[in-house]
Amino acid sequence: MASTSVRIEQISKRFGEVTAVDRVDLSIAKGEFFTLLGSSGCGKTTLLRIIAGFMPQSGGRILFGDACIDDVPAHRRNTGMVFQNYAIFPHLTVIDNIAYGLRARGLPKGEVAERVARMLAMMRLEHLGHRRPRELSGGQQQRVVLARAIVIEPDVLLMDEPLSNLDTEMRVHLRGEIRALQRQIGVTTIYVTHDQEEALMMSDRVAVMSGGKVEQVGTPVEIFHRPQTRFVASFIGESNFIPAMRIGSGASGPAVYEVPGGGRLPVPAERASEVGPKADIAFRSHDLVLGPPEAGGWTATVADTQFYGATIRLVLELAPGHTVQVALTGRAGQALPATGARVGLALPSASLWLFPAAAR
Amino acid sequence: MTAVAETGVGTRLLRQVGFWPVVTALVFVALFALLVMPIVNIVGLSLSGKDAQSSVWANYATFFSERFYYQTLINSIQVSLAATVLAVLVGVPAAYFATRYDIWGRGFVRAAVVLTFVSPPFIGSYSWVILFGRSGLITTTLADFGISLPSIYGAPGIVLVFTLQFFPFVFLMVSSGLKSIDQSIEDAARNLGSGELRVFFTVLLPLLVPSISAGALLVFVAAFTDIGTPIIIGERFRVLPVLIFGEFVNEFGGRPILASTLAVLLLTVTTAALLLQRWFAGLHAHGTAAIRPLTIQEQRPLKRLLASAYVLLLVGMALLPIVNIVISSFLKANGPLLIAEFTLGNYARILRTIAVPLSNTIFYTTAATAMCAIVGTAVGYIIVRRPGRLGGLLDGVVMFSYAVPGIVLGVGLIVTYNEPPVILTGTSAILILAFFIRRLPFSVRSSVSMLQQLSRDTEDASINLGAGPGRTFLKITVPLLSMAILSGVLLTWSNTIRELSATLILQSGSTVTLSIEIFNEVVNANFGLASALGTVLILLTFLPLVVLFTLLGKREEALV
Ligand SMILES: Nc1ncnc2c1ncn2[C@@H]1O[C@H](COP(=O)(O)OP(=O)(O)OP(=O)(O)O)[C@@H](O)[C@H]1O
Ligand SMILES: [Mg+2]
Repeated sequence: MASTSVRIEQISKRFGEVTAVDRVDLSIAKGEFFTLLGSSGCGKTTLLRIIAGFMPQSGGRILFGDACIDDVPAHRRNTGMVFQNYAIFPHLTVIDNIAYGLRARGLPKGEVAERVARMLAMMRLEHLGHRRPRELSGGQQQRVVLARAIVIEPDVLLMDEPLSNLDTEMRVHLRGEIRALQRQIGVTTIYVTHDQEEALMMSDRVAVMSGGKVEQVGTPVEIFHRPQTRFVASFIGESNFIPAMRIGSGASGPAVYEVPGGGRLPVPAERASEVGPKADIAFRSHDLVLGPPEAGGWTATVADTQFYGATIRLVLELAPGHTVQVALTGRAGQALPATGARVGLALPSASLWLFPAAAR
Repeated sequence: MTAVAETGVGTRLLRQVGFWPVVTALVFVALFALLVMPIVNIVGLSLSGKDAQSSVWANYATFFSERFYYQTLINSIQVSLAATVLAVLVGVPAAYFATRYDIWGRGFVRAAVVLTFVSPPFIGSYSWVILFGRSGLITTTLADFGISLPSIYGAPGIVLVFTLQFFPFVFLMVSSGLKSIDQSIEDAARNLGSGELRVFFTVLLPLLVPSISAGALLVFVAAFTDIGTPIIIGERFRVLPVLIFGEFVNEFGGRPILASTLAVLLLTVTTAALLLQRWFAGLHAHGTAAIRPLTIQEQRPLKRLLASAYVLLLVGMALLPIVNIVISSFLKANGPLLIAEFTLGNYARILRTIAVPLSNTIFYTTAATAMCAIVGTAVGYIIVRRPGRLGGLLDGVVMFSYAVPGIVLGVGLIVTYNEPPVILTGTSAILILAFFIRRLPFSVRSSVSMLQQLSRDTEDASINLGAGPGRTFLKITVPLLSMAILSGVLLTWSNTIRELSATLILQSGSTVTLSIEIFNEVVNANFGLASALGTVLILLTFLPLVVLFTLLGKREEALV
């Protein structure tokens, strides 16, 4: 498949006062599954629509391979797009939906029929070819629009939250299917979602966006375990932020920060010198280790115990006004600390990140 | 050869400039030629003096200094305002009862409102003359018993006819407004301790202000610009539109300057009314959308009876003229006197003369309807899908054309196209173009609302798959809207076929239409013939609507 790499250089989009996309730079390799992840309104759709050519950017340029495509109209860009609400053509049968792009390209009848048939087989839609969209389930419709976008052999496949209208089971099933299909045909894919699990599970690389800006680009493992900004740390996974004060300079070894509850946590020296003496320490709820309280150690009081089945969450009060959440794996017969009990805490140094103190 | 070359140029232009820019340009040219230029010309004429020294306001000064002229403006405003107030007063309760109460004869009420709404504009008035005129059926019958009725002629008659003819605007607007209010809103007010009347005045009425004012505007403009009714029953009570018409017929094209001045005054009032309503409705817009619309509620027998009686009486009165026309078309007539004796004679007589007006009417209506469907859909598309400065301007021009009354458009087209380089006066083309422009805003509005319901992604998907804008419009947008376009076509047809005011000014002997023919027979007091022709026209108007409401399942609110 004639797939291509994509370069996005300093792309911005303003709607009047609102800056929906703010000087975004991305470089996406040929055949890569690349995901734009971010909460509602962060500009994911806008960026995707700019790539598809549905709206002009306010600044910057986009290259497919080495060719700048800014002046190519949307219908000549050869990007296959899958829309959030399907955008299936309701008046056309499944076959006509899939054949639409091929016919628009003026391909001969025989070739159209052949490629559509191959696509139907690949998506396991053979028996539905003559149905109308309203006679299909949501998942089937989604497969049809996916087939419709892939059959034209697009340079880039664009997907805007394609699974968000489906129920959980269908969503889990289809994301595996889409991922496998993408590996099989090797088309460069830009995938938009606000579901971090989906992003982590499907992607080669993820760009986390916030307020129109890209916060961090990296593999799922990097994004999850090495968040580079405060936003990424708080957006991905379940994180706690606690204020920290440097108490040891760490000229030879790591610097030491003190946190509420008497904890003393070591941090690599160069990171500490970047951030400074007043900082915030962030860590995931499931990384905090509980033990018996020790004199002079890091301790907390259990403020609340929440039972979720597979997980148990504890709200711990480190000091008045400072609470953190801990997630424990719920095992049968596990004894839960009672509310009001004192517990000891430990945090492996690989699981904490230091950020400059937030304005409070 | 040239044809081939031209298609070559056309295609190349489309390629280079793009499909929609070319369409937009064509639409602008059409609107400019058919709407902007005529209006600019009458404004220009109204400001031109007989000689170079006179002030540009001389014509207006004349108008406002001579009672003969300015009284017509006062008269027009008086009867229109009176009719508007009355239509609101009778229409709002009727709509409330018909949508909220389990009244009897709901289907009949719907049908009657539609029939009233689409009946040819002056049929009401001459029908009332047949019944209550000087030698009317009821007047003479009652006179035999020594009872004399108040006169139907003059201002009171006009107000009566306007009210009954136009209250459906209010009725339909308010009905659809009520349907956009969620039941939970009323329930909440009830729950908080308000009785029905209090709920109506404190909750429903405030939410209905945009609908009521929209209905009131339609009544006012329709009444203010109507020619047929005041000519037939106005007698010495002269209104502005009739004055304009008079300027045209007494001496054809004789005093275009005066006619233009009058037309500009008419246009000023309708535009001001439109802007006033927009502003007012905007202040009170709440953007409600009902998930579960207000439901019909069972009433105690007495309340049910009274509400039903009120609604049925009202629509019955409004329907009376139409029933009367159909019946009297089968009665022997001696001039204005109808004799209670069955005959097909009226139909036999119109058979000889109907061919030309009938075929003219159908041809003009069909042509204008087709143009409206095509241009209206395209313009709606530009406004909704290609917003920008041009789309906004287009929207503005089209909205403005709502306010342009038929008679003003008629005057404008005449003064614009009665001399070289383009002479259209007296041709079929000028009538078709007038019909087209008059209905265009309605077509645009309906295509705008249907496009807003159609997700844009569907069209984007087509573009994304490689179909150009033109192909996408034809292969995706138009098929998806085909049902909506069809219902638009039926509505346009029904509304165009009975056009009178622009036609009165623009028609010449060979381009006579059915409504003109009826009008002439009425003016000549041949009531039998007028009724037979009127029945034919009512049928032609009503049939497409039957299709619309039964086969396409539209509700009568689609009319406004
Ligand atoms: N046509 C438009 N006009 C004005 N503002 C717009 C327009 N389209 C998007 N925006 C604004 O731009 C911002 C980004 O919108 P966008 O649709 O790209 O968000 P998103 O990340 O896709 O969100 P979601 O997850 O909810 O789909 C939002 O603040 C939105 O209000
Ligand atoms: Mg989005």
